[in-house]
Amino acid sequence: MRGSFLWRNRVLLISGALLILSLHLISTGVHPGDLAARPQSAFLEVISPVTGAFTHLSDGASSIVSDYMDLVHVREENAHLRNELARVKSDQARLAELEAENQHLGELLELKDALGTNAVAANVIGSDATGLSRTLVLGSGTSDGLRPGMAVLANQGVVGKIIAVSPHASRVLMIDDHNSALDGFDQRSRARGIVAGLVDDGVILKYADRSQDIRAGDTIVTSGLDGIFPRGLLVGTVLSVHREGPGLFLGVRIAPAVDFRELEQVLILTQPPPHLEDQAKD
Amino acid sequence: MRLILLFAVFVVLGLALESAGARVISFRALIPNLIIILAVDLGLRHHGVLPAMLAFAMGYATDALAGSHPGINAFMMTMVFVVSYEISTRLMTANAFVGATVVFFGVIATALGTVAIANGFNALSDTGPLLPGLTLQAFISALVAPVIFSMLATGKRLTGLRARAARE
Repeated sequence: MRGSFLWRNRVLLISGALLILSLHLISTGVHPGDLAARPQSAFLEVISPVTGAFTHLSDGASSIVSDYMDLVHVREENAHLRNELARVKSDQARLAELEAENQHLGELLELKDALGTNAVAANVIGSDATGLSRTLVLGSGTSDGLRPGMAVLANQGVVGKIIAVSPHASRVLMIDDHNSALDGFDQRSRARGIVAGLVDDGVILKYADRSQDIRAGDTIVTSGLDGIFPRGLLVGTVLSVHREGPGLFLGVRIAPAVDFRELEQVLILTQPPPHLEDQAKD
Repeated sequence: MRLILLFAVFVVLGLALESAGARVISFRALIPNLIIILAVDLGLRHHGVLPAMLAFAMGYATDALAGSHPGINAFMMTMVFVVSYEISTRLMTANAFVGATVVFFGVIATALGTVAIANGFNALSDTGPLLPGLTLQAFISALVAPVIFSMLATGKRLTGLRARAARE
């Protein structure tokens, strides 16, 4: 047995089988409820508290570094005053943080009221682990009513949609990811297209016909036709339009309305947007 | 079992650090790819069926926190394991320098492979702007790799596992 071909090449044979299994997973996709989705959901559940703790620690470390930088200028003051100042600054930073968080949540609440739909707020606790995709990790999951496919918004505009959930965590595919696609249109000219991300960073409006009148500075909003995002949510502003060269479509670059690096809290629509016919009746 | 537990701890900590680090450090290239370092260590120093499955599992765990196509990282980590395994069976030694070199090329190849699988091979022509950042990340990962190998070796010694490749 030990001298046989199979035994001598067992590592390569098993690795080959695992590579084929990976390709099968990539080609068929993993859907919520699948057997293959359970280990990922379980892992997301295990790792989200650790990620949350690291995020909390790193935020604290940034605050300490910033406090220290402020204290460099008062080095000559006595120890008592420095300690007092550090305490006051720490309190101030904490209060400012709470104030900012309150403001974010207040703005999200206003957005929720304006949308007139069911929504929950969630904290962003992590980003894409490899950095090759544009995804976020949220500290809320199925226990908060989140499901894959739900729309994720910030007070400035559209963020993305949920692609994976576990009981207490979820992942969001942002609109600047190269695999993201949402139906949008130019608010001025009504020209439609698909908003998608690029591999090398950036967002474009794909499949906009060359005859369409799209100009730099135009506002792009969601059309509601994808059944995920309600109609009229802000996506971004047209940065540039390229009409040169061959091809059927315009090259439209968009500046997203949301600064994805600064996201701390987001709003998730837990109720699908009303059908366009229902909107028309209203 | 001890090998699985040891690597599970390193994977959880590594992925949590990478995910949380990406929130704090906006220049993503400064964050090393820790999971590739673990896969290279498995390929260089552990020759068996269990380490191969462990590399696949590490990639599948990474898929839970990265990317939009589950299975891509599992594929890539298994590839990194196979390449590291093949290299270690052909070299007299699998020291930290060899490991760091494999990590350097592994980070670049994995990123390009991920883009190609997720978006088609045509998308590789758009990866030009990514390459400087990717090379920097590969370099930083290669610099960090000996430290991680050393931490893994300590962990293996503490748990009674063999810390070096069978040939050394």
